[in-house]
Amino acid sequence: MKTINLFMKKGVTIPLEFDNVLPELLYDKSKEEIEQTIIYHGNQEEPLNKYFIVEIQGECDKADECTIFIDGDLYRVKYIGNRMSCGTIIANGNVDLHVGSMMSGGHIVVNGDAESYAGREMTGGILEIKGNVKEYCGSSYIGEWRGMSGGKIIVNGDAGKQLADCMMGGEIYIGGNCDILAGIHMVGGFIEINGDVDKWPAAEMKKGTMVINGKVQEMLQSFKLEEKIQNPFIHDKYYFGTYNLYSGDIGSKGKGHVWIKEH
Amino acid sequence: MTMLEYDEEVNNCVCFCCGNNCDDITYLLKDKQIVGIRNACRLGASKVVCHPDQRLLNPMIRNEEGILEETTWDEALDKVAMLLSESIRPLLYGWSESSIESIKKGIKVSQLTGAVMDNSSTIYHGTTIQAFQNVGHPVTTYGEVKNRADVIIYVGTNPMSDHPRHLSKFTAFPKGFFRQGGRKDRQVITWDPKFTNTAKISDDWIQFNMNEDYYFFNALRTVLKGQKIDDEVAGVPKDKIMEMVNIMKNAECGVIFLGLGVSQTLSKQRNADILIRLIEDLNSYSKWSMLPMKGSLNVGGFNVALTSETGYPYGVDFARGYPRYMIGETTTIDLLNRREPDVFVSVSDDPVIQFPGYSIKHLVNIPVVQIGTTWGPITELSDVVLPSTNLGIETAGTVYRIDSVPLYMKKVVEEPRNCHSHEWIFIELYKRIQQLKCKGDN
Repeated sequence: MKTINLFMKKGVTIPLEFDNVLPELLYDKSKEEIEQTIIYHGNQEEPLNKYFIVEIQGECDKADECTIFIDGDLYRVKYIGNRMSCGTIIANGNVDLHVGSMMSGGHIVVNGDAESYAGREMTGGILEIKGNVKEYCGSSYIGEWRGMSGGKIIVNGDAGKQLADCMMGGEIYIGGNCDILAGIHMVGGFIEINGDVDKWPAAEMKKGTMVINGKVQEMLQSFKLEEKIQNPFIHDKYYFGTYNLYSGDIGSKGKGHVWIKEH
Repeated sequence: MTMLEYDEEVNNCVCFCCGNNCDDITYLLKDKQIVGIRNACRLGASKVVCHPDQRLLNPMIRNEEGILEETTWDEALDKVAMLLSESIRPLLYGWSESSIESIKKGIKVSQLTGAVMDNSSTIYHGTTIQAFQNVGHPVTTYGEVKNRADVIIYVGTNPMSDHPRHLSKFTAFPKGFFRQGGRKDRQVITWDPKFTNTAKISDDWIQFNMNEDYYFFNALRTVLKGQKIDDEVAGVPKDKIMEMVNIMKNAECGVIFLGLGVSQTLSKQRNADILIRLIEDLNSYSKWSMLPMKGSLNVGGFNVALTSETGYPYGVDFARGYPRYMIGETTTIDLLNRREPDVFVSVSDDPVIQFPGYSIKHLVNIPVVQIGTTWGPITELSDVVLPSTNLGIETAGTVYRIDSVPLYMKKVVEEPRNCHSHEWIFIELYKRIQQLKCKGDN
């Protein structure tokens, strides 16, 4: 096992971009090499050790066995775990945009909140956010038709607007509440929201499943109430209570399922 | 009443006020100065003849006492070149009143300095552009509307107030090849939470609840698909929704004009997105298309020029040497709210009028450069002011109309002695920044 510890020296206003700080790129590097890893600061390329103290413990032969700990004032560090395929990243603090975007494997843990576009176009791996997440979590790039297609996103707190826009596959679990248009343009995958959901979940949904354990402020007219089911079995699990099953979105000739718990 | 005295007429000019770009303007000149205008609306005319005392005529730099002092072009351009070349997060915003030719020069400067380049789409119709990227653009031209359209719907827009000649010149009133009766052959409908001036002259006004646009459009689509809806949706009675769907299905040619009253409400880009879907559905029965009511002179041209050069319409970040674009990350309001830019260049727009207070606060703490024609709130925040010329009056250039039709704007009068076009300014800046970069490399 190899552990790379990165301690941020001081906070920044202009974000640092962390695309190159990935287990698969650093697992076989020496401390000096890691210190010289290029990170981006505005239009400048800077060595990692300008902003971070680097410490290494242990050695490993495979990237899977490498863990990167990032500590400090990370609210302006973006693209953490962008395109990550293996290994582990643990970020202690609130992180900026695009954490885990396009990741295909491995495990990211954020011990804090995450800004928008967390897990964007993710194809595999696990992204765990212990706090809240802002807009477009698990979504697509603007203008792109394919959002998250695999992997798992677990958010303990609340999620912002347009969660999982154009989601094609994978799983998203939201522990708290969710803002408007959750699961818009969803064409596959599974979303479970434990808290309340603002207006119009699953708009223009074609396929996939959404389970809402809290209350929904307003459903769209284009969803049809199919039936009420007691303790339904959905996605390998029993849900206790009475659930209303909606199908739609009729406007998109959709055959998706939205389960909403009765309160 | 005294007759206006003039010694020259310049005909077929393009108005430089709004995105309609009315191309039948006549300027009346006396001693090579504009003394009168024909065919322009009150907005277009006032833009040309009002506020001559606010015109910026010389470059200025703010001195140590905080006062703007007149200086030479060399000194002002060197100062801006220095600011841009030393900046690590420069932002070049505006461009609504710049020609395509100058925007292209601006793109070169942005590429050279690793800047972010953005325009007012970021606060106006950017969301509509996102919807076009998501689901496509059922485009039409004013010519087609004038000759064919028999149902015209204004959604969240009030052209009677902000594009005054829009209805009389392009849409509702003019006689067209298939619409010889003009206004009598057309049905004009307004969907708006407010009873606007456009609603007043419309045949029908549908009031939906504020921020429930998406809900209302979804209900229209649901009815069109033959499904049942509730008795009232978004404050609109079911019967009214059914009547509207009927009108739309039976139209020979319909057009939806979309405004900021929809593009900037709760569901943002999804409003335009679902309207486009509605148009797709309607095209099984009839012929429908959509145009966004863009406000400023060449705001659409900026999107066209930037898309042609970079693939992205606005909010393009060149920090890594290649273009990147991400709403919420590389768009001006978000950058300012996140306190990222360290130099801000305002090109022909006044962000202090347009932006929220929290965003403007950041401009107080960083160097600001104004490239513009008139003294405004942004001048008070600027460290360097570069006086430019009015496109279509003192400088020729290409612009794109609301319906993406390119128009060439003539030069009508000579520019003021010490003012230069945006194109000239950005050519000069490019040269100077390049020299500074070469010195730095050596």
